[in-house]
Amino acid sequence: MEAAAAAKRKIEVESKVIEKVGEVIREIERAKHVEQVICALHSLAVLLFPIDSSLLSGSIDEHYKDQVIIAKVHAPNERDDWWRAFYQGAAFPTLARVLLLDVASNWLTCFPLSAKKHSYDVFFVNGLSTEVVQVLVPHLQLTSSDVFDVNVVQSNVERLLVLCLLDNDGVFKMALDLAVSPHSEDTINERLKSVVSRVAHIVTSIPDKARLRAPPLLSSQQAITDKSEMDVNLSFLGEIFSRIVRRGSSDVLLSEVTPQVLRHVRSCLSSNTDVVDTDVFESNPESQFWLKIMEAITDSYTVERIAEQLLRQLATEHASDIEAYWVLWILFHQLLKSQSSVRSMFVDKFLLWKVFPVCCLQWILQFAVFECSPIKDLWTKGHETTNGLLDIVQRLAAVWSKRDFVQSAPLEQQAYITAALGLCLEKMSKEELDKTKDAMHSILQGVNCRLESPADLVRKMASTIALVFSKVVDPKNPLYLDDSCNGETIDWEFGLTTSEKVSLSVSNAEKQIDETGMSTSATLSKDLARAADGGKGIGVKSKSKKSSEFSLVDPDEIIDPATLNYESVSDENDDDDASENSDSCDSSLQPYDLTDDDTDLKRKISQLVDVVGALRKSDDADGVERALDVAESLIRASPDELTHLAGDLVRTLVQVRCSDVAVEGEEESAEEKRQRALIALVATRPFESLDTLNKLLYSPNVDVCQRIMILDVMTLAAEELANAKTMKPKHQKGPLISNISEPQPWFLPSNTGPPGAGSWKEVSDTGTLLNWLIRNERELPLKPGQVKRGKTRRWNLRSGNIHESQTEWSQNKFPLYAAAFMLPAMQGFDKKRHGVDLLGQDFIVLGKLIYMLGVCMKCASMHPEASALAPLLLDMLRAREVCHHKEAYVRRAVLFAASCVLIALHPSSIASSLVEGNIEISEGLEWIRTWALHVADSDPDRECYTMAVSCLQLHSEMALLASRALESAETTFKAKTISLSKGTIKIPNSNIQYY
Amino acid sequence: MSSKSKRPPPDPVAVLRGHRASVADACFHPSRPILFTGSSDGELRIWDTIQHRTVSSSWAHSAAHGIIAVACSSLLETNKIISQGRDGTVKCWDIEEGGLSRTPSLTIRTNSYHFCKLSLVKKPVANTNQGDGTIDIELSNDSRGERAKNQEEDSNSFEDHLQGGLIEETSVEGLKYVAMAGEQSSEIELWDLNTGERSIRLPQDNFVGSIKQRGMCMAVQSFLLPGSEGFLNVLAGYEDGSILWWDIRYPGVPLTSVKFHSEPVLSLCIDGSCNGGISGAADDKIVLYSLDYPTGSCIVKKEISLERPGISSTAIRPDSKIAATAGWDHRVRIYNYRKGNPLAILKYHHATCNSVSYSTNCKLMASTSEDTTVALWELYPPQT
Repeated sequence: MEAAAAAKRKIEVESKVIEKVGEVIREIERAKHVEQVICALHSLAVLLFPIDSSLLSGSIDEHYKDQVIIAKVHAPNERDDWWRAFYQGAAFPTLARVLLLDVASNWLTCFPLSAKKHSYDVFFVNGLSTEVVQVLVPHLQLTSSDVFDVNVVQSNVERLLVLCLLDNDGVFKMALDLAVSPHSEDTINERLKSVVSRVAHIVTSIPDKARLRAPPLLSSQQAITDKSEMDVNLSFLGEIFSRIVRRGSSDVLLSEVTPQVLRHVRSCLSSNTDVVDTDVFESNPESQFWLKIMEAITDSYTVERIAEQLLRQLATEHASDIEAYWVLWILFHQLLKSQSSVRSMFVDKFLLWKVFPVCCLQWILQFAVFECSPIKDLWTKGHETTNGLLDIVQRLAAVWSKRDFVQSAPLEQQAYITAALGLCLEKMSKEELDKTKDAMHSILQGVNCRLESPADLVRKMASTIALVFSKVVDPKNPLYLDDSCNGETIDWEFGLTTSEKVSLSVSNAEKQIDETGMSTSATLSKDLARAADGGKGIGVKSKSKKSSEFSLVDPDEIIDPATLNYESVSDENDDDDASENSDSCDSSLQPYDLTDDDTDLKRKISQLVDVVGALRKSDDADGVERALDVAESLIRASPDELTHLAGDLVRTLVQVRCSDVAVEGEEESAEEKRQRALIALVATRPFESLDTLNKLLYSPNVDVCQRIMILDVMTLAAEELANAKTMKPKHQKGPLISNISEPQPWFLPSNTGPPGAGSWKEVSDTGTLLNWLIRNERELPLKPGQVKRGKTRRWNLRSGNIHESQTEWSQNKFPLYAAAFMLPAMQGFDKKRHGVDLLGQDFIVLGKLIYMLGVCMKCASMHPEASALAPLLLDMLRAREVCHHKEAYVRRAVLFAASCVLIALHPSSIASSLVEGNIEISEGLEWIRTWALHVADSDPDRECYTMAVSCLQLHSEMALLASRALESAETTFKAKTISLSKGTIKIPNSNIQYY
Repeated sequence: MSSKSKRPPPDPVAVLRGHRASVADACFHPSRPILFTGSSDGELRIWDTIQHRTVSSSWAHSAAHGIIAVACSSLLETNKIISQGRDGTVKCWDIEEGGLSRTPSLTIRTNSYHFCKLSLVKKPVANTNQGDGTIDIELSNDSRGERAKNQEEDSNSFEDHLQGGLIEETSVEGLKYVAMAGEQSSEIELWDLNTGERSIRLPQDNFVGSIKQRGMCMAVQSFLLPGSEGFLNVLAGYEDGSILWWDIRYPGVPLTSVKFHSEPVLSLCIDGSCNGGISGAADDKIVLYSLDYPTGSCIVKKEISLERPGISSTAIRPDSKIAATAGWDHRVRIYNYRKGNPLAILKYHHATCNSVSYSTNCKLMASTSEDTTVALWELYPPQT
C-alpha cells in the first residue's frame, strides 16, 4: 500500500517537475533580457536546491529582484523529492540541453558571476553526478553543423566538468552514489553493472573527447583515488581503472597510485621496525582497500599494464628492495595465488619477453619466484626454494641457451635474461641444480655458444653465468673465464642502460664494427704508444739509477786509503795468515766490474733463411723469439732472396705458435711481431706471399685464429699498400681532361685554388672507418701582404711549402695487386671442407673475410680496378647465405663491404657502364639499395640497421653524382664517337689507357 | 772495495786471427815467446807473442778430424811440441827454424777417438826448489818486487835444472809420458814419449768393471807428487761427474774417488805446487779442491756457482795466484785462486771458449774460441 502510494506520489512529483521545467524553458525562450533568464532559472533552482536568494539579488535589477525574492520555496523534505524526481526523470536532460546549448551560447556571457554560480552551475554541481556526467560528456563532441557557437558551448562544458569532477570530487560522489544504491537486491545489480560500465566509460572517455586545448586538468581527473574509503563501490573503481588503462594512460594512473601505495608501505615499515610480516599488512585497512581494488580489476590486460607501470614507477622512485617487495605483495599476492594468468604474467612475460631494469628484475624474482621478502631470504637461502624456482631456472636456461636467441635477440633482452638466470642461479644450491633435468646441460651449451661470439658483451654474459654456475657447483673454486669480472659483485646490467640505446648514433655503430673488425690496428697503435711509454719509463729509470749511483760517490766523504788498505789486508789475513807463503800482493787482485748480461749470448739472426730455420724449430722457443724480433726489419730491407723465400716465410710465420713460444705475459707482443712481419711481407712481395696466404686461408691445417690473423694481415697490408708514399716530382696538372675523369676521388674537394696551395689532407679525428663526415684541409699560401710571424726565422716563407707540395706525392700501389688480394679469397668461401666451414661455424672468419674485401675495395677506390672487381664482390655478397646470414656480425660486414663498393666506384665509370649497356654494375648497385632497405626495415640488430641507413645515404649520393656524370657523358659521348676514334688517350697518373 | 772495483774489465792486449776454424787449444812455449794453437781443421799455428804474428802454420792433422790439444812442457825438450788429433794419433813435432818439422818426430797411434785432451806430466815447482823454500818465505816478507823477481829466478833456475836433467837423462825419463783417455774411452792410457809405446792402462784389465759405469774419461791430469820419487799420479774426470785419483803403482783401484760435479767433468787443472787444483764441468759450478797426500784424499776448498753452465777449460797461473776458466757462455772468468772470489769476467769472444792457458812467466794468458780467434790478455801481471 505504502509502496503504491509512494509510487503514485513520485509520479505526481515528476509530472510537476516536468511542468515546471517546461515553464522555465518557455520563459527562457521568450526572454528578451538576461534578468528574465536568470529569474526563470532561479525559480527552478530554489525548488531543487537550498539556495539563499539574497546572494543573487545584488547582481540584478530592482525589478527582477522582487521576483527572485518572492520565488516559491519548498520545504526541505519536499525539495529532496523534487531533486530526485528532477534528476532521475526526463526533466534534467531536457533542461540541461537547453542550458548547455541555448543559454550557454546566447545568455551565459551576460550572467553576473553570482548568478552564474547560483542559478546555472548549481544544476550540474549539486546534481546527481552520474546523470550529470552522462549528460555533459556527449556535449563535448558537438559537430560544427549546429547553429550554436560550438566553441562557447564546448568550453562551457569543459568548465562544468572541471567543476564537477575535480573541484567537487565528482567521481567520489559517483562512487558513493553507486555504493549507496541498494546492493542487496539482485535484480538491480544487473542494471547497476551496466550503469557502472557506462559511467566508467563516459568518465574515462573525457580526456579523449576534450579538445586539444582543453584545460589540462581535465586529463588528470584520476585524482579521485585520493579519497579512498571502504564504502565506495569497488567494482566501479576497478572498472574505471581498467578503462583508464585501456585508453593507454596507465602511466598517469600509476603516477598517482604508486606514491600512495609506497607511502603506505613506508609508514607500515617504519612503524614496525623489527619484524615485518604479512599480518601487518593484511590487518591494515588501507592494504585491504588496495587489495580489493586489484581484485576488482578483472581485465588481465589492465593487470599486466598496471604491474608493468608499477615496476617502472618504483624503479624511478628508487624504492628499496623491501619496499618494492611489499608494494608488489599488497597489490598482487592475492591475484598471484588465485589467478594462474597473473602468475604466468610475472613468471613468463616479465622474465622472458619484457625488459625491465635490473632492480625490477630482482623484485619480480623476489616476489613471484622466491616468494619471500628479501630480508627473510638472507637466512633461509637455499633451504626452502620452491619448485617454481627450479622450473623457472629450467625455462630460463632453455631460452638462454638457444643459438637462435643469441643470434637474433636484441642485446638488452639477452642481458636481461642473462641477469634473470644469473640471479636465480645465485639462489640455488648444487643439489637443487642436480634436480633440474637439463638446466645444467643447457647452461653449459649456452655458455659455449656465447663464448664464440664476436661481441664482447655476449662473451661477458657467458663468463658471468659461468662464474655464477661454478660458484653454485663449487663455492670455493669460482671459475673466472674473464679477467674483467673478478669482483665479488656482478654487474648484471652489463653496462647496458636503456638511455644508451636511444642515443646510439650511426657513427657509434660504425665505430663498433670498426672495433670488432679491425681491432688489430687499434691495438697496434696502442701498443706502439705503450712501447713509447715503456721507453720513457726506462729512460727515467736509468736516469734515476744514475743519480743513485752519483749519490753513492759522496764528494765530501773523506776516504782514508789506509783504512781501505787495512781492511783488505785484514780480510786477507783471515785465511792467508795460516798459509805458508803469505804473498801480500794478493791485495793487488782487485776485482773488475763483475756485472754481466747475456745480450751478446743471443745469436743474432741476420739472414732470412735463418729466420725461416729458426721459426721451424718450434722446440727452441728462444730462437723463435729472436727470429720474430728481427723478421720484420729483415723483410722490410727487401733483399733479393725474399722473392724466393716469401712463400716459405709466410707459411712458417702463420704456423708459428706464439703462445707456446713466448714467455708468460708476452704472448701478445710476440703475436704482434708475427703479424707485423707478415704485413711487411705482404706489402713488399704481394704476389708471392698472397699466393701462399690464400692457400693457407682455406687449408684445413690452420685453425680459426690463424685464419682470422691471415685476414687481418691482408687487410692491414692492403691499407699499407694503399697509403704507400713515394716521392715524385709533382707536375702541375692542367685542365687537360674534362672534370668528370679527374683522377681525384669525387668525394674530395677540387684542387682549384691559389697556386702553391698544399694538397688536401683528410682530417681524421675520430679514427672510425666509415666516417661519412670526412673533413679535408690544406695549407694555403700566405696572401700578399700577410706576414707570418714566428719565433724561428725562415729565409723564405714560401719555399718550404711549395717544395713540399710539388714533390711529395702519394701513390696508391694497391690497385695493381687488388685482384691478387681479392679473387682467390672470394673463391672458396662457400666450400665446406674438413675444419673449414665459413658459412656455418666459422662465421667470424666469414665476417672478417668480407670486411677484408671491403677494405680492399676501399683501397682501390677511384681506380679502374675497382669497377672491374666490384661486380664480382657484389656477386659474392648477394649470395643468400651471405647477406641473410644468421649472425649479425656477418651482416654488418656485408653492409660495410657494400658501403665500400659505393665509395670505391667512380661515378663516371658507373655512368659509362650504363651508357655502354654493361648492366652488371648497375644491377649490383640496385641490389645494394634494395637489400639495405630491407635490412633497415626488418633487421633485429640495431647496428645493422644504422649501417644500412648510412649505406642508403651513400647510395643516394653516389646515384646523384653518377646521374650528373651521365648527363655530361651523354653530351661528350656523341662527340667522342666522332673525334676519339683515331687514337688513345693517356690519362696521367693512371695505369690504364683509355681507347 | 766495491766502489773501487767498478773499473771495467780490460780488453785483450792482442787478438790473433788467422785460424779458419774453431781454435781448440793453445799452449805457450815454456821459455820462448811463442804460442802454439791448434784448430779443429787440423791446422797448427805458431805465433810470436811479442809481435802478435803468425810464425808458421802447418797441417798437423787432417782437416776432417782436427786437433784436440797441443801441449809442450818444460819437461820435454824445448824444441818439442805435441799435438793430439781427433784422428786417433798423437804427434810429436820438432820446432825448427821457421816452423815445424815436415814430418813428426814421433807418431803414436792411440786409436782413441774422444774429447779428452792429453796431459803431460806436471812437476811441482815447490818440490824442485825444496831446498830454498825457507829463503823464499823470508824474502817474501821484504818486498813484492824482490819476491817476484826471485820467483822468476826460480823458474829460470828450474828450467836450467830441467835442461840439465834432460841432458843427464836420469830421472827425467820417467816424466816423458803422456796421459789420455784410451781406446776404451773409460780407460786412461799412459804412453811413453821416448819409445812411442803404451806403458800402462788405468785401470788394468781385471778391474775395468767398476770404472766403466762412470762413462767416458773426459779430462786427465798427470802429475808428480812432491816427494813421490818419480811415481806418476793421475787425476781423471769422468762423464758422470766423478774425479778419480790414480797412483800408477796401484793400477787396479784408484786412490780415491770424489764426485763434485753432476755433469761430465771437462777439465782438471793442478796448481804449480801440485797441492790442489780446479775442475770445470758441464754443470754450473767450478770446484776448487786440495789434494791431501798422506791420506790420499781430495777435499773441496770452494765451490763457485755459475750463472750459465759449461766450463770447457781451466788454467791456473804458474804462480798459483789466479785461475781462469773458459766458458761455453763465451766468457773467460778470472778468479783469485787462493780465495776463490771472482775477479773479472772477460767478454771478448763471441762464441764458445775452448781453452785458456797461461804463459810460464805469468804475464800472458791466451784464450781460444770457436770464433776462430785467439785472444791474449794481461791481467794482474806479476810486479817485476
